[in-house]
Parts: sequence; C-alpha cells; structure tokens
Amino acid sequence: MSRMSGPMAQQLVGKGAARAIHRRERQSFGVNKRPSWTTYAVLVAVLLVSIYPIYFTVLLASSDAATIARNPIPSLVPGPNFFDNVSRVLGSDIKFWTALANSTIVAVVTSVSVVFFATLAGFAFSKLRFRGRNGLLVFVIATMAVPTQLGVVPLFILMSELGWVGKLQAVIVPGMVTAFGVFWMTQYLRDALPFELIEAARVDGASMIRTFWSVALPAAKPAAAMLALFTFVGSWTNFFWPFIILGSANPTLPVALQLLQASYFKDYSLIMAGVVVATLPLIAVFVVAGRQLVAGIMQGAVKG
Amino acid sequence: MQSLTWRQRLSRLDVKLSPYLYISPFFLLFFVVGLFPLLYTAWVSLHDWHLIGGQGEMIGFANYVAVFDQPNFYRALRNTFSIFILSSVPQIIAAILIAYFLDTNLRAKTFWRMGVLLPYVVAPVAVSMIFSKIFADQSGAANALLAMFGADPIGWHADPFWAHVAIATMVNFRWTGYNALIFLAAMQAIPREVYEAAIVDGARRWRTFFSVTVPMLKPTIIFVVITSTIGGLQIFDEPRMFDTMGTGGADKQWLTLTMYIYELGWGAQKSFGRAAAVSWILFAIIVVIGAINFFITRRIASSGGKGDL
Amino acid sequence: MRRTFRTLAALASAGALLAGCSGSNTTDPDAEGSATGAAGGEQITLSVATFNEFGYEELVEEYMDLNPGIKVEHKKAATSNEARDNMNTRLAAGSGLADVEAIEVDWLPELMQYPDQFVDLASPDVEGRWLDWKTEAATVDGKLIGYGTDIGPEAVCYRADLFEAAGLPSDREEVASLLEGDWDTYFEVGKDFVAKSRGVAWFDSAGATYQGMINQLDTPFENTDGTPIPLEENEAIKDVYSRVLQASVDEGLSAGLAQWSEDWTNGFQSDKFATMLCPGWMLGVIEGNAKGVEGWDIANVFPGGGGNWGGSYLTVPAQGEHPEEAKALAAWLTAPEQQIKAFQAKGTFPSQVEALESPELLGATNEFFNDAPVGEILAERANAVSVTPFKGPNFFAITTIVTDALTRVDVDGTDDADSSWQKALESYSALGLS
Repeated sequence: MSRMSGPMAQQLVGKGAARAIHRRERQSFGVNKRPSWTTYAVLVAVLLVSIYPIYFTVLLASSDAATIARNPIPSLVPGPNFFDNVSRVLGSDIKFWTALANSTIVAVVTSVSVVFFATLAGFAFSKLRFRGRNGLLVFVIATMAVPTQLGVVPLFILMSELGWVGKLQAVIVPGMVTAFGVFWMTQYLRDALPFELIEAARVDGASMIRTFWSVALPAAKPAAAMLALFTFVGSWTNFFWPFIILGSANPTLPVALQLLQASYFKDYSLIMAGVVVATLPLIAVFVVAGRQLVAGIMQGAVKG
Repeated sequence: MQSLTWRQRLSRLDVKLSPYLYISPFFLLFFVVGLFPLLYTAWVSLHDWHLIGGQGEMIGFANYVAVFDQPNFYRALRNTFSIFILSSVPQIIAAILIAYFLDTNLRAKTFWRMGVLLPYVVAPVAVSMIFSKIFADQSGAANALLAMFGADPIGWHADPFWAHVAIATMVNFRWTGYNALIFLAAMQAIPREVYEAAIVDGARRWRTFFSVTVPMLKPTIIFVVITSTIGGLQIFDEPRMFDTMGTGGADKQWLTLTMYIYELGWGAQKSFGRAAAVSWILFAIIVVIGAINFFITRRIASSGGKGDL
Repeated sequence: MRRTFRTLAALASAGALLAGCSGSNTTDPDAEGSATGAAGGEQITLSVATFNEFGYEELVEEYMDLNPGIKVEHKKAATSNEARDNMNTRLAAGSGLADVEAIEVDWLPELMQYPDQFVDLASPDVEGRWLDWKTEAATVDGKLIGYGTDIGPEAVCYRADLFEAAGLPSDREEVASLLEGDWDTYFEVGKDFVAKSRGVAWFDSAGATYQGMINQLDTPFENTDGTPIPLEENEAIKDVYSRVLQASVDEGLSAGLAQWSEDWTNGFQSDKFATMLCPGWMLGVIEGNAKGVEGWDIANVFPGGGGNWGGSYLTVPAQGEHPEEAKALAAWLTAPEQQIKAFQAKGTFPSQVEALESPELLGATNEFFNDAPVGEILAERANAVSVTPFKGPNFFAITTIVTDALTRVDVDGTDDADSSWQKALESYSALGLS
C-alpha cells in the first residue's frame, strides 16, 4: 500500500533515458572489464546485512526460550527445535490456519482483481479514444499521491454500516483496483499493443469487450504478471487496515503474528518460528519469481 | 436492413460507452473508499464523535483545539519527522551507493540484485518483531555486540533519538535494496557517452560518480523522496510493534502520528472526532510537503529537461 | 449523515457484486455460524469469546453433551488488550460480537457506560453466588451486566534459591512471617536482601509494585459518583508514586524491567529479581517465562493485607440473537462446579463463594512452585481482600498515565521523580476530564 514506486519512478523520470537501455546492450561504463574485488567485498557485506536478520530469526526459531534468554547473540549454528517450534505455532491460539487462509484469499483475490480492472482501464486509456481521456489519466496519476490511509475513520464507519467489520471483504474491496495498477498497465499497453491488432479484431466484428478479452489481455501478460506479484506482496504484508477492521477474531497473517508478541508470557523461539512460517510463503514466491520482481522494479521504464 | 442499423447503432454505442465503463471501476472505488472517507474526515473532525456512542453534536474546531493542547501531539509530530528523516536520508545515500556497486559488469548480476531485494518480502510486522528483539535495551543483540567492543549499552527504547534510529533501521532494512534497484535502473539509463566524455577528460571514478552520476540521478532521487514522504509520514507498523504495549513508550518517545490517530480513535479516548482532526492535520502536512516537492521537481525539470510525464 | 453512508454502502456492495466478490458466505466464520443456527430450526449455535486462558475447552464440550440442541463455538483472543480492542470495535460496528463475551475488570468500567448494549443478567438463581465485591463492580443501576468468572487474589512469589544465597529464610512459612506487615516491611526486607545479594534486585519493576499498592485504595482515581479526582490533588496516588520510586530507584530495589517487555521476559531466565507480586493468574505467566529455572515458590502473605489484581466476567451483548440461551450458558459456565474445573485446568482462581471452600480447590498444589498448596494459599489471600477499589470509566486512562510516569524513572531513567510527575500532570490535563 505504501510505496509501490519503483517502476513508477522509472516511468515518470526515466522515459527517454530508458529507451537508451533498450537501444544498446548495457555494459559497465568505459570499459568492459570485470569489477575489482572491493566491489564484490562491498556487495557481500550488503548481502550479509540483508540476510543476517532473516537468518537470526531462523536461529531463534530453532532454539528454545532459555537458550535465547542466556545468549543475546545466538550461535551461528541452528538449534534442534525448529520443527517442534513450528508445530507449536501451528497449534497455538493465534489461529494460524485461519490467518493463512485469509491472507491467501485476500492476496489472490486482490491480485487477480487489480490485474483485471487495471488492464481494463489501461486498455481504455492507452488505446481507446474518448472525451476527457487525458484529464482523467492525469487524475488517476494524481491520486497515487493521496494518503488514503488517513481516511481511516470514515472508512471504518462505512464498513460498520455495511456490517463488514471483521469480514474479509472489508479488506479486499478497498484494494480491488489501484491507481498504480491502472497507470502501469496504461504505460505498458501503449507500446505493447499495436493498433493494427485492435483494428483487425474490430473489422472481424468483435465487440469492445471481446477485443479486450482476445487481444488486449493476452498482450498484457508480462506486465500483468509483475503487477500481480507486487500486489500480492503488498497485500500479504499489509497490516494497518486489517489490524483495525479484522482484529484477532478473523486475522490475516500479520495481524495473527502480532498476537504472538502481545501474549502474556513470551517464548521467543515460538514468536520467531511464527515469523518464519508467516514469511515462508513470500520467500517461496521470491525464489520462484524474484527475477520478475527485480525486473519489475528496474524495467518498468523500458515500455515507457 | 433495419437490423443492421440497429447493430451499427449498438456498435457505435459500444465504442462510445465502453471506455467509460472500463475505467469506471477505478473511479467508483477511489471515490467510495479513498476520496470520500478522506474528505469526510474533515466533517467528522468538527463533531463530538465517539467510537461506540457515535455521532454527537457539531463542536466546531474544539477537537483541533484539544489536539493542539496535547503534548503527545507535538511528540508524535516530532517523532514522525525524526523517524522519517532518519529513514529516508541514510536510505537514499546507501541505496545510491549500492546501486553504484551493482552498476558494474558483475558476474551473476541477477543473484546480487535479488540478494539486495530479499528484505522487501518480509512484512513490516515481522521486521519489527525481529528488530525489537535485537534492540532490546538489556537483553538485545545490538547492545551485546557493543559490549563486545567495550562500548556502553544504548537505550534503544528509553532514549527518543535511539528509538528513532532503531525504528528507522527497520524501514531502511526493508526498503534500501528496493530503492537501490530503482537507482540502478536510472544509472543504467545514463547515456554511455556522458561517461566516456568524463573519462576522456581524465576524471577519476569517484569524481565521475559525484560530478556525473549523482546529478543525473536528481529526478529519480526526488521521485523516491516524494513517494517515501507519503508512505513515511504515515508510518505505523514498525513503531506499533516496537514494544509489547504498542503505545509508543512511556514518554511517547516513538509515538507517531498514525499511531496517535489509532490511539485517539480506538484507544483510551475513543474519540473519532479527535482522531479525524489529527488525520486531517497530517493530510495537510503531506499536501504541503508534496507541493514543495512538486515545485522543486518543476524547477529541476525545466532546468534539467527530464522529469516530465 | 447515515443516509450518505447507506448510499455509499449500497454503491460499494454493487461494486463488490460487479467484481464477483459477493462471496461473503465463504470467507466469514461468523456468518456461517449464524446461518447454521437459523437453518437448523431447533439447533442453536452460540459463540463464546474469551482471551488468554479461561480453561473452558472441556466445559464447552460438556455443555454441548448436556444440551443437544445447542452448539457452542469457542473463540479465543490472545490477550485482554486484544479482546478489549475487538469488543470496542464490534460494539461500535453494532454487530459481530459473540453471544457470550468475556471482559476483564480493568476495562469493565468503560463498558458500564453503555448498559444498553448488554443483557441484564440479574436473576434469583445466581444471587449470592459470588463474592460481594465481585458482583458490585459489575452492577450499574441495579442491572448486572457480567457474571464473575475468576479473581486475582495476590500473594508474593519468590525465588527460594536466591533468598537462600543471600542468607534469608527460604521456606514459604518463614518467608510469609518475614514479610508479614505493610509495604514498608516488604521494602525493608528488600533492602536487606539487595545488600546481601550480588546484583539481584528485589522486585521486577516499580509499575508492578504500584499496581499492588493502588489495588488497596478505595478510590484510586475517581470518586464513587464517577467524577475524576484531579491528579494534582490526589495525595494518595502521589504518596504511592513517591514511595514506590523511593524504594525502586533510591533504595535500588527494582530491576527496572517494564512488565511484559522483552527485557522483563528475559529477566526470568537471568535471575534479575527475587520477588514478584503474584495474583493467581500470574503463576502461569511466571512458569511460562521461567521455564527451566528452579527455585520459584509462593508465600501466603501480601504487603498491607490483601489485594486483588484482575479477574474477569462473562457478558451477554444485546446485539446477539439468542440472549436467553446465551444467558443460560454464561450462568452455567460461571457456576462454582464449572469454575473449579477451570481452575484445575488452567489455574484461574474462582470468584464464587462456594468454590472457595471446596476441597478440590483447597487441595490443589503447583509443581513448578515447589509443590506449594496454591489452592489453599490463594483462597486465604482472597479472604484477606478487604478493599475493592472503585474503578470508573477513566480508570484505565489515568492509571496508564501514572504507570508511564513510573516507567520513565524506573526503566528508562530519562526523568527523575519530579519531572516525570510534572509530565504526568500534563498528560492528565490533556485528557480534558475536568
């Protein structure tokens, strides 16, 4: 929710320049030689800083409360209790399975919906002519800067009126289409979808929605996959609104996680095991699709 | 004949109306769950409005007066800005440096890039749970590490400044790599000729970095600053989870404005009116900062030629 | 204004439908529950929401066996704070609460402002079931909004091994007679202990000790008519504040570990303090945090006589569909026989007069606390409770301000007693109560 800005940044500021990447194979400037060992040393240090807190979590999750209490800096070898701790988390009061199911439902439905509606709108903005198009597009972009989180009080009142407090749709519906998504798909389709294809479909007598379905949607696939990824991660990690509107009775994973920390007595091996299992699905996504995430952040500009 | 006209008419209608239909979900949703609640916040802020009791009388600006009278409001304001600066300035500098090292002819490029992005997939709540353990005042890894070097322990929770540093560290942990990739993309977009010219002039690598790379990155830097302003000033997850209570510490040393909104609305005071007043104030702050950013961007865009839409 | 929201609500629903997201029935456990209740005709589903450990798991099963027409769903929140947030949110929403909701005594007064939201539970069947003070606290205008479950009679938990190492008596009877007396006695013994022990503090924090002391005041923060006593004029609280800080900081008795914090949890494992004021429900907390540590014991004594900390009630929110059945369930769960079973399961100490005299309760021992006869000790501590502090709607807010003031001095060390008190006064006036 907060800062899905990478590709957008590229699109906004690096348009012309990005085409430059497209034109040539990228090389290190000046010379084509390999960087020195200092570069690798720095990058290894950066990587360690990225990874250590995560590894620290695994270390604690595989230890036990007493060992953790006695050793502020855990030994670098994991302890023997990882699976034990994980099974305690799964069996604890935090409703892990409900939370996992809720997080999955919310993230999947939101991602699919954002991709669908954003592609639909992107198709209209990039390829169809209509009165007020440019003005409306500027409006969409401008809304990205609106801190909608600050409307939380009336939004809560609204959800109360709907009887949605504590229900998943209260989290899903507000995230069903985003300005970022619309903008992202508009930019992509502008280049990726040739007018000729649309013309051809229209000449064949396809209706607008059919054209969208058979021509635009397939063309949008690569960008749609990236958008789905970012939306998925954003939804999975979202806390503020689910925390307020769902609460502990019907939690998503982050809401359930904080319950582990808020309990009366704290067993850090249990808490950290909870952190690990809640993060694992995203780590899996990262392993499979990390490349696309990197590319999404970096190459947004290419299609600008 | 007639049926054909009918079909034509239908087709024309299809062409005319479809675009509006296609963009309508966004506008409908934005209006209902985005814009309306935000504007309606102003209305709520003028009322005595209780979480459970519901809407009361219109009381003018009394909520604002009450809020401006609370020392916690100023603490929250101070903390929010302090955490924001501590998380954005070092983060952008580090991100540019990392990008600079990534912008070389590395072996296994994707590996390094994915490596720096890894923290991005850890939820802020989880990040905060990890780091609040590391930054525990007496039993944390950070102070244990300091002790190994003979340094005095730091009051990561007790001292406002260090509490802000600890919270900013969580934000930086999650976002530095992400922003580094943005800068990396921007660096790669700098035309090669510019560098070649600098090298021909005999400029050293670091000199080139400061005299060529950084200036060319300006629009990207400003963009990252704008987006991190909008997100950063609304920070909630990390400070909320920094201790068990979630109320920002005994001296409210890490209470942020969004936490304060929650505290006013759903905490001890249960006053939606006051919560709305603070929301509206924070909104005004973000708008003003956004406007300042916009003008700076405009100036740079007109002088630098980039940064247009 | 409602109309605006209705219109928007309709719009939003339309949007949801349009998006093919009308599947509320598949995602919401609440909706499912009530649906079965309605469709089943005779079959009624009741939900019970508790937090932490009430020990109701088996009782719920038992109730269903006894009442075949009723299905009971038990929902648990992790902590009382979580349950409180949930309660407030759902009350505000006007729906979504369980048929029977557990609430804790500290936030009971906030809810007493909205008696209309709860079903009147008064009934001749349950008259005289609880300790008088327990029932009084939940009665407003003659309406009983909650049935008492447990109470938190306080004793002193201590580390026998650390006492021994410091040359103090360590047997629980000896410790009880050593500490017999008022708070000054408790602090004096503490000074003696700290002088002889190497680096071990007497108690965990100023905040926890303060908690024990204010629970012996008749009217800690508010007059019995509900009007707040201005903090600036509240001599009793100022005295407690000064005395606690003198003991904690000047006399060095406190370990400076804020209760429930990371460092506090850790302190159990690293021998940071030797005593703790412990209500019955704290025994489980100590056992959990001090896993593997040997030497904890409990003494039948409490500074200044008796004290009660915490305890809960079962309420029946008015928004439920089956108030009569819910009331019957709540009455059954809080009957002496059932609360004794809950005590045996999770150690929650019963608030029912009859239960306090039952042999099952009095015979209970606790292995972790050196096989101490905890049932007998806590029953005696419950009888020693002579004061029921009046807690009004602002109790929670004001006591938080004072606790924060103590923490600044005792834990953070960022203020001294005077400057921290000044800040507390500022925060108090910011509440805008007077």
